[in-house]
Amino acid sequence: MNRYVKLVNFELGRFMKVYIALIGITIISQLAAVIVVSKSYLNNANQAMNVDHMAIETFIEQYGRMSFNDVTNSIFFIGPIALCIVTLLIYSLFIWYRDWFGKNTFIYRLLMLPTARLNVYLAKASAIFLFVLGLVGLQILLLPLERMILQWMVPIDLRWDLSINEMIRNFDRLGIMLPYSIAEFAIHYGIGFMAVIVLFTIIMFERCYRLKGILLGIGYGALALIVFFLPVFVQEFMLYNYFYPEELFMLMLVTGLLVTAGSIWMSNHLLTRKIRV
Amino acid sequence: MIEVKDITKKFGRKQVLRGVTFTAAKGEITCLIGINGVGKTTILNAIMALTPINSGQILIDGAKINKKSYEKITFIPDAITMLPQMTIGQSMQFMQDFYESWNQERATELLGFFKLKPEEKISSLSKGNTAKVNLLLGLALDVDYLLMDEPFSGIDIFSREQIAEVFTSHLVEDRGVIITTHEINDIEHLIDQVILLDDGIVVKAFNSEEIRENEGKSVVDVMREVYQQ
Repeated sequence: MNRYVKLVNFELGRFMKVYIALIGITIISQLAAVIVVSKSYLNNANQAMNVDHMAIETFIEQYGRMSFNDVTNSIFFIGPIALCIVTLLIYSLFIWYRDWFGKNTFIYRLLMLPTARLNVYLAKASAIFLFVLGLVGLQILLLPLERMILQWMVPIDLRWDLSINEMIRNFDRLGIMLPYSIAEFAIHYGIGFMAVIVLFTIIMFERCYRLKGILLGIGYGALALIVFFLPVFVQEFMLYNYFYPEELFMLMLVTGLLVTAGSIWMSNHLLTRKIRV
Repeated sequence: MIEVKDITKKFGRKQVLRGVTFTAAKGEITCLIGINGVGKTTILNAIMALTPINSGQILIDGAKINKKSYEKITFIPDAITMLPQMTIGQSMQFMQDFYESWNQERATELLGFFKLKPEEKISSLSKGNTAKVNLLLGLALDVDYLLMDEPFSGIDIFSREQIAEVFTSHLVEDRGVIITTHEINDIEHLIDQVILLDDGIVVKAFNSEEIRENEGKSVVDVMREVYQQ
């Protein structure tokens, strides 16, 4: 356990510079989004009311009040979220391959540590998961701050205040990232964790059997998908809406846990018996 | 004792090892010799469970390798096993964090012996100094067995001499060492057991001292006989 914690800490440290850069980009870009969108709206309002002498009611009728939805639709707001997602997806592959390729033979050291090799695997998965949670936490912290900036900049008559819940609910992509309930949070991030574990297992197949491993890995990934969605397939094609939504949810929870546990078992087997440096 | 029993290994269609058997005792230096591609590194990787074997058995003190074994056997490959962005000091700290068998006193002694600076980055080291750091990280562990893959490969004569000096010092004393090397001249006088490999099999295994005393031949003489036949 102790070595697992040390490994997680080590893995976090290895990506920290890039991670801090991602955090910086997200903060700057999203704050810029609030400022740019608010400024643009205010410029329009200024033009309409002070130059074109439009009444405030007419302006609101024509252009509507500004809300945080205008900010979340901005590329400066969505862009850094997309950048973080893509970077972490790439990093999920890179976290393994960088230890094998080039002049780097760090994989020798990792595999020769006096700890279960599964700890190396779980430490990498945990690091990815913690990075994701960290970015989600950052977004949760940023939302009230961004709303506050919007409220400073745009007069109350011209804006439509939203609660944090409404801000998330009105923006689907934020809803996936920031679920409304603990149960949804567990589902979204549970599926995410399962996906990372399955991806790591596919990487293990490739690292053990190289070219043949790519095919085995793809096969394994397909099998994992089939097992996970088995209750849905049964519901759709065999039993025709036989299950209540709660039952379907419970069945998918079971298949999800099966896929995760099966993938960890398979990875452990590959790491201890089949891995090649 | 490290026991390698009838191991075979195939990479794709290429049979690299065809039933290799030998033992390496504690307190002895065993040298694996053979041309490139003969399977020397594969044997070391297999002993450390870094590559799976197709058949055969490898035992360390009578047991299969497991996570605890890495506290009593270590492998020093021909490339550095630390991250390029780490300093020597950070690498030593990493080892101390993970290995109970890490001997800080010996590590400091080796640092002085090799004239290395803890603040130097791995990526900025010369080939010779990289080999020395690799050796330091392996030798500073209180392990019973050391595996070394081509420790003299591609490094200058002074570094080679310094590394060879390690073998006559207390740093290696009482440990079982398996070494693969082409640069046999540097350590010929130190080797106890020689395993000559060719085409995936052991073509000759002998005690260097016995062959010197009984037949008046050096290791190089026997190598010539075997490989130039």
